[in-house]
Amino acid sequence: MLCLETSNLCHRYSAAEAVLHDIALAVPQASIYGFLGPNGAGKTTTLRLLLGLMRKQRGSISIFGRNLDTHRVEILRQVGSLIESPSLYEHLTAAENLALLQRIHRVPAARIAEVLERVGLGGARDKRAGAFSLGMKQRLGIAAALLHRPALLILDEPTNGLDPNGIIEIRALLTALNREEGTTILVSSHLLAEVERLASHVGIVHRGRLLFQGTLEALRRERHGAARVALHTADDSHALRVLADAGIAAHGSEHGLLLPPMPPPHIAALNRRLVEQGVEVYAIGAEGGDLESIFMNLIGSRAA
Amino acid sequence: MNRVFLAALRCEWLKRRRSLGAWLVIAGAFFTPAIIVLVRLVRRAGLPQLYADPQFWTLHWRNAWESMAIFFMPMAAILATSLVVQIETRNNAWKQVHALPLHTATIFFAKFAVILLMLAQFLLLFVFGVWLSAVLPALLPGGVAVPPAPPLRQFFADTALYYLDCLPIVAAQYLLSLRFNHFVAPIGMGFLAWVAALSALSWEHANLVPYAYTMLDFLRDNPEARRAVVSSGMHGLALGWFLLLTAAGYVVFATKAQKG
Ligand SMILES: Nc1ncnc2c1ncn2[C@@H]1O[C@H](COP(=O)(O)OP(=O)(O)OP(=O)(O)O)[C@@H](O)[C@H]1O
Ligand SMILES: [Mg+2]
Repeated sequence: MLCLETSNLCHRYSAAEAVLHDIALAVPQASIYGFLGPNGAGKTTTLRLLLGLMRKQRGSISIFGRNLDTHRVEILRQVGSLIESPSLYEHLTAAENLALLQRIHRVPAARIAEVLERVGLGGARDKRAGAFSLGMKQRLGIAAALLHRPALLILDEPTNGLDPNGIIEIRALLTALNREEGTTILVSSHLLAEVERLASHVGIVHRGRLLFQGTLEALRRERHGAARVALHTADDSHALRVLADAGIAAHGSEHGLLLPPMPPPHIAALNRRLVEQGVEVYAIGAEGGDLESIFMNLIGSRAA
Repeated sequence: MNRVFLAALRCEWLKRRRSLGAWLVIAGAFFTPAIIVLVRLVRRAGLPQLYADPQFWTLHWRNAWESMAIFFMPMAAILATSLVVQIETRNNAWKQVHALPLHTATIFFAKFAVILLMLAQFLLLFVFGVWLSAVLPALLPGGVAVPPAPPLRQFFADTALYYLDCLPIVAAQYLLSLRFNHFVAPIGMGFLAWVAALSALSWEHANLVPYAYTMLDFLRDNPEARRAVVSSGMHGLALGWFLLLTAAGYVVFATKAQKG
């Protein structure tokens, strides 16, 4: 069952080029959905539209099986969010910041101490938010999103500004929420490695288009497709002739020669052959599998 | 009032705690009374005569309201409104407010109600300050006796009308503050509108100027005014402007393409 679904979602900020084209998200119930894309891809724009923070221009959004246009307030009761930088009243303490929201959500006041503890701010409840470090602000922003035990969490790059330890802590927190309370989590990121460690499902957006959507398993298969073997030799043109004789399609690039992926024994055999033919091999290694090469691969397969 | 609105109102009231706007209300309310006390202490020789005047309370009340009606009250309305809205803009918090399970109207009117309550608080503190400024000089050693029984009923009736006179300014400033993200814009425009209203006081249609009502209220029937002002129907007109500008402010707020 889907917790959140969009179809045909488009957006343009001005008469200029559209920044979102036909985004069709499908976020399954109780999943952790990693919304992945480089800077400027349209992640924040999409998440803002999902919360009704911008006027929707085209397409439809449904959350918990209800239309956002007609059931906004009902839906938002069950949604916690953190978009870009956290919204904190700097003249108020951490506890006061949460008390504001606690009034609106009508949860017991004891919940404030509970979420502060959960994000590691138990000792800072009476400190003014203005005196918080970047990472502490981010944690308080996450606490605000969790306060009313939402069924859906929408987090825009929540680990921004956190130290490595903090990133691990927040990841553990989100995983635990998902496992223990069945919270569906839609989290954006520009780091493939981060999404891989956290998400069960992935959507990849690039220049406003959803290039890939599926389970983490399916992404791994795509990633494999994007992998290359890189070869550095003393004489690339000589090496290219040897490779062509062996029936291997290779092409030169700034990183040396790029070959299609192959199993390790084949790499060893190839190396032997090159050496036998008098090519001096400096290095052979795996190349690609990062976000950029997945994009290139996805874009290539779309164009084909 | 339903429970959701009440919760939103309490939430908004909490937000202004320790904010610049909240301090300004207190400082602004006691500023004129403090000046009055200071002036009377400097001119102590004149005190016995002043306090012996049978019209003492009326004179004292008028004296206190002069700077208030002309300057401090419009300024308080302009600054308090901008500063309250600025709490959201400065902290980048509009997006969180709009992502709460609240209707747009609830958000709009809860914040507006807080501004109106702050203005009421400002006036009540001012009335208290005016009373205090009459009593304090009398407590000095060898001082004068305070005339008994200030006409409190009259004071509160006047104050309520001044409050009504000020509402168009609040509504206009609320609209401007919601429309422009940077607080300098609404404060600057408010100040210009105040200057314009000041220079329009002797105009034959001064009673149509939304920023002029507190000034007109003070100047009408004023024996010392150099020129009579046109103030016919001013309280009704003030109410009309208030309703109109509030409705316009709501339209501006509800139709914003980007909410925070
Ligand atoms: N307020 C705005 N006005 C005009 N254009 C905007 C505005 N906000 C974003 N854009 C444009 O929309 C595109 C998508 O921006 P968006 O903020 O959604 O990207 P993002 O994926 O969140 O990037 P990042 O990883 O940097 O946060 C960008 O090209 C950006 O320039
Ligand atoms: Mg972003």
